[in-house]
Amino acid sequence: MLDDLRFRIRVLFRRGAAERELADELRFHLERQADKYVASGMSRDEARRRVRIEFGGVEQIAEECRDARGLALIDTTLQDLRYAVRTTRRSPVFALLAVATIGLATAAIATVASLADTLLWRHLGAEHPDDIVSVTATRGRRTDGAVSYPDYLTFRDRVTTVGTLAAHYSTAPLFVATGGNAREVNGAVVSANYFSVLGMQPAAGRFFYEDEDRVPDRDRVAVLGYDFWQTTFGGARTAIGAPITINGAVFTVIGVARPRPVSLTPLPVNVYIPTMMLRVGYRWCDDSLAVSCTVLGMIGRLAPGRTIAEASAELAAIKPAAWDRAPIGENRGIHVSRPRGMSEDDAEPRLVATLGAVAIVLLVVCCANLAGLLGARSLARQTEFAIRVSLGAAPLRIVRQVVTESVLLAGLGGVGGVLLSRVFIGALARMFFSMDDEGHPLYYDFSQSNATVLTTLLSAFAAGILFSVMPALRAARKPAVSSTAARSASARWSTSRWLLAAQAAAAVAMAAVAALLAFSARAVVEGRNYEAAHVALMRVRPRLIKYTPERAQRFQREAIDQLHALPSVQSVSMVGIGTVLSGGSMQVGLPGWQSGQRLTVSYNEVGPAYFATLQTPVIAGREFDDRDTATSAPVAVVGEALAGRLWPPGRALGSTILVGRAERQVVGVVADVSMKSRGEAADLWVFAPFWQNPGQIDSRIAIRTAGDPAAVLPELARVVHHVDPDVPIAETITLPTRLSGLTRPVRVGALFIGYAAALAMFLTAIGLYGALAFAVSRRTKEIGIRVALGASRGRVVRSIVNDGVRVVFAGAAAGIGLAIAASRAVASLLYGSAAADWLFYVAAVFAVAGIGLAASLLPAWRAARIDPIVALRQD
Amino acid sequence: MDLPQGTLDLLILKAVAIEPQHGWAIAERIHQVSNTALTVNQGSLYPALHRLERRGWIRASWDVSDNNRRAKYYELTAKGRRQLEEQTDAWRALTAAINLLLDHS
Repeated sequence: MLDDLRFRIRVLFRRGAAERELADELRFHLERQADKYVASGMSRDEARRRVRIEFGGVEQIAEECRDARGLALIDTTLQDLRYAVRTTRRSPVFALLAVATIGLATAAIATVASLADTLLWRHLGAEHPDDIVSVTATRGRRTDGAVSYPDYLTFRDRVTTVGTLAAHYSTAPLFVATGGNAREVNGAVVSANYFSVLGMQPAAGRFFYEDEDRVPDRDRVAVLGYDFWQTTFGGARTAIGAPITINGAVFTVIGVARPRPVSLTPLPVNVYIPTMMLRVGYRWCDDSLAVSCTVLGMIGRLAPGRTIAEASAELAAIKPAAWDRAPIGENRGIHVSRPRGMSEDDAEPRLVATLGAVAIVLLVVCCANLAGLLGARSLARQTEFAIRVSLGAAPLRIVRQVVTESVLLAGLGGVGGVLLSRVFIGALARMFFSMDDEGHPLYYDFSQSNATVLTTLLSAFAAGILFSVMPALRAARKPAVSSTAARSASARWSTSRWLLAAQAAAAVAMAAVAALLAFSARAVVEGRNYEAAHVALMRVRPRLIKYTPERAQRFQREAIDQLHALPSVQSVSMVGIGTVLSGGSMQVGLPGWQSGQRLTVSYNEVGPAYFATLQTPVIAGREFDDRDTATSAPVAVVGEALAGRLWPPGRALGSTILVGRAERQVVGVVADVSMKSRGEAADLWVFAPFWQNPGQIDSRIAIRTAGDPAAVLPELARVVHHVDPDVPIAETITLPTRLSGLTRPVRVGALFIGYAAALAMFLTAIGLYGALAFAVSRRTKEIGIRVALGASRGRVVRSIVNDGVRVVFAGAAAGIGLAIAASRAVASLLYGSAAADWLFYVAAVFAVAGIGLAASLLPAWRAARIDPIVALRQD
Repeated sequence: MDLPQGTLDLLILKAVAIEPQHGWAIAERIHQVSNTALTVNQGSLYPALHRLERRGWIRASWDVSDNNRRAKYYELTAKGRRQLEEQTDAWRALTAAINLLLDHS
């Protein structure tokens, strides 16, 4: 065995010499044999002829010798490659087309792979990422529960399987003021050991000492993010030791992190403060350091030699005793995992899966197209193959030749695809992944990993084999004679018909789905039962600076009055929960219902003129106004769908509804606004007056403007700032901006699938053109005869065009079924009514059929110009 | 008479057992020693030689032939000699068994 390998390797390295030796050896034999015949009285020429006949094909024997030496595989592959380069140079159009289309299709594969890698798979960018574990609490089915500071201490102080366990709250909205320049930025509240767990280094100054994170509220020290340091302090060293105000408290800057630090979320961290400052960083608990306030995530490094399973078992065993008695829905168990991916959107895994499927279909369509073209090309090369076979090449050798050529082209395409995907990913990152739906900047690291590149190249090679094996096998099987009869038989292009029809079907399905998604994204922004185009948003957050409800509400009233007084503002309202157009959830019921009967519905507390501001139609009764105060009778407004569920038609007004524990009287019914996709149940809505909740502190304000809301945003912010300069203002964006942020998966899907559809249509056109042009060239003689027998040019054109359009139209029509199935699959990304969907299907069919028609015109025109005299002389 | 299936390897090994031979001489030797009863198909001789060389049963070297031309000579290796003995025994056993069968009436 080892001998064998050594022999093969030696032979491989002295291949040139071996070839010469083989030739010499066989020549010697032939000469020696001829000598023998000459000695027995034959003439030299006759002897030579006799020897040739006896010996058989020299090339064939040489080939068998190479086989016997075991270097055939490597050797012939190299030979095939050299040959492939030569043939490719001779027919550059097919080669160019193959490289370009495989490149465009694999660019889609690489783009999805990159998205999947960054959003779902990638480990943290820290050193030895395999050691890093994220520790979360389980709450019922959820496994992403945060823990309180005292619970974190319990784990930190007892755990041995995890070397260092750090705590972090990485999405802390901090209102930071440095010398008159105040703004809301994303910050992180982290334990002192956080930096060492992630292996971070300071760019200037230092990180927190353990002692600075030991006593609550004592050490007001802050570390800046690199970009924040650059923008606020111009990167000056004097920043170290400078004071900054965070949520109203004065901190001292002690250090700056290096650029692009390891981040646990796509929100870049601008400022770090220690966990002992949690009461400043987190304002939604009365005491943020109490055991009831669960806000911290935990991240740690496994102790040397420990596994996740061991850490899991140990952490579960040392969890706080109170967790065993906790009610369902609170922290009860422990979940240890390796942090993977940056996705924070539940729709993204499904989006990536959908796009992956689309990319694979696209590559298959591309293969079908190239298989058709290659089939035609192989027929044209039959003479060449026949000569090679008669020279002694085995049929399998021809198959390998064709496959090698194709894989070479596909490989080149794959390299192009990888490069192109960098452009695509960059564009996607800029368009969709640079800002969240609240206007905060995001950072996703979309750099390509080796695995992504490898996946792409492998898919390109697979495509090369896929599109060439069938045509290659057929080429090798065909009889070696090329007669006119064989030619016109092959001109019927029956297999390529099926391939073309399938391409057309796929093109229709992709075009229809892309259009559905694009219009779906627009439907959300344009809205049903609301008008978003002229609405500006703003969030005011007195809670960050610890205002009491009384003081905060005084500020709110004043701010809203001032905004209303602006000439550019038509109406102003606000919500107390969640965001404008969405909200939280609430249990509702009718008096006398059992608690099990109650419905969970969407809920918000909205100010006067809320529905007027959004232009949501009030169907019956009235919306909230200044009559609804903390001291007036509790009232509610319900959505139309909820009214239909609870009462007979027309009986909602004046009825009593149980909202949470409070009885409220229904004073209005409004049209439904649903932010749910077709895959989800539509929202049921109940609203309570903003001012009937005496605990209101923060709010999100909606402002209807006369003109473009983006133009007046700075003025609106200035007015509110003027009312109370201390109150943090955030999320000053327009409603359309926010809505497009919400529909990111839909828009990414629309763009991506639109690209796939355009490419599939292009491929269908190329495929059809290629097939028809080839058929015309093969049928030149037949067409010549027809014309000579009196067929009109128009008739020839019609017959060719008919031939092409029929195939494409049949495929496109079949594509409707595919489109309907595909739109079901992406229902979770579709918004709005399905009533008009058929329009998209029909439009897609006509678009693809139209492209088919255009593609068949040129070959038809060429057929019509065939001169019978020239045609009949052919062959 | 053509060679029975699978015997070419054995005959080649036998032909080069005494002294190194080149391909043409091997074919000639088989032809003559068998009283011209056996003819080696020249098309299968060389692939067989290369196969045996790869297996390490024969070794090749270039030398000058009797008519002053360079020729590739094959000689038996130690491994090849063992193979020759084994295959010879196996062949004898086989033909003896077949003879027994044919003589049995």
